[in-house]
Amino acid sequence: MKLSEKLKRTFFTENPVTGLLLGLCPTLAVTSSAENGIGMGLATTFVLVCSNLVIATLKNVIPNRVRIPAFIVVIATFVTIVDMGLQATMFELHKTLGLFIPLIVVNCVILGRAEAFASKNTVWDSFIDGITNGLGFTFALFILGAIREVFGSGAILGYAFWPEDYRTILVFVLAPGAFLTLGFMLVGMNRISKALEGKK
Amino acid sequence: MAKNESAFRVIIVLVLIAFFSAFLLAYVNNITSGPIEENKRAETKKAIEIVLSTLTDYTYPEEPIATEIDNSPVKYFPAQAADGSIIGYAIIVKGPNGFTNDFDMMVGLDSSGTVIDTYVLDHKETPGLGDGMAREPFKKQYRGKNLQNSNWNVIKDGGDFDILTAATITSRAFTGGVHRALLLFKKLKNEVNV
Repeated sequence: MKLSEKLKRTFFTENPVTGLLLGLCPTLAVTSSAENGIGMGLATTFVLVCSNLVIATLKNVIPNRVRIPAFIVVIATFVTIVDMGLQATMFELHKTLGLFIPLIVVNCVILGRAEAFASKNTVWDSFIDGITNGLGFTFALFILGAIREVFGSGAILGYAFWPEDYRTILVFVLAPGAFLTLGFMLVGMNRISKALEGKK
Repeated sequence: MAKNESAFRVIIVLVLIAFFSAFLLAYVNNITSGPIEENKRAETKKAIEIVLSTLTDYTYPEEPIATEIDNSPVKYFPAQAADGSIIGYAIIVKGPNGFTNDFDMMVGLDSSGTVIDTYVLDHKETPGLGDGMAREPFKKQYRGKNLQNSNWNVIKDGGDFDILTAATITSRAFTGGVHRALLLFKKLKNEVNV
């Protein structure tokens, strides 16, 4: 499959969040700003690429009976590495994301790709699969975070365009706002996906 | 996936995977523990400079002194002038009963026990509501206040301090945290005089 085709699929028609509705816990929890969305997305991408690589390499060694525990150990290892790496290099970002980083272990996007793709395909294909799915996930989190930040905090990527004394629509940065925004975003993404499919 | 597998093989593979990941984690931990410690120290240093912003030419010990007030652990850095006299305190307290949990904050006091400034170190309050406690409009009402000139409750509870819109609990916790720092100051003063 061509890379452009693959990207189109992971960004729109089969986007992990808006197409397959996977990994919604971190999606809803961290996207109160665009920056958090990107941070979480890239951390997940890193884990996804690394775990896909390792699992594709070991796919003939891992016994079928214990494949899920083995996958989880691999994923948890990389998540802990991300956690420590972020703390050492981007302390400020870690302060906001820190709570959710360990939860990447149970993000079903990652286990889903390990089980459905990396354990059956070559190392190179799994690598590409990890990157495209990770970027699709990041893309969805960024859009969701940006919408919530614009309406809820009157800012974009931390740059405030709304005077501080003015009210913003606070519900957008709270949990209900995440659900509402995600709902409307699904409608929009489905429209785009349909249009893309129609053209083929 | 390998079919036809013996129990022995299953155990060996899982043990090897766990062993390698433990090794990898130990290695990464070894590299990152230094910078992480450094970052935390830099954060504390930054916080002390903010909460003691009106003081100049002071030194403070590398490690804070730990004690207890109100059944809650507190740590403080005494700021000493060149002649050794104590001209202020940077006190790390827990804001009690925040919206999600207790949160860590630092309060700077001068030698008369008046608040110089406050700094929130680590919190998990609601973004957009409770995290307003770290912003200027909320913080400034605590400056220049001490045990004598203020009633240490939020307005809703009959005190002197404004609350953040839709974050009463956070505001209460913040006010309670600053109050704790002041109580510690009073206790320290009494110990010196006795």
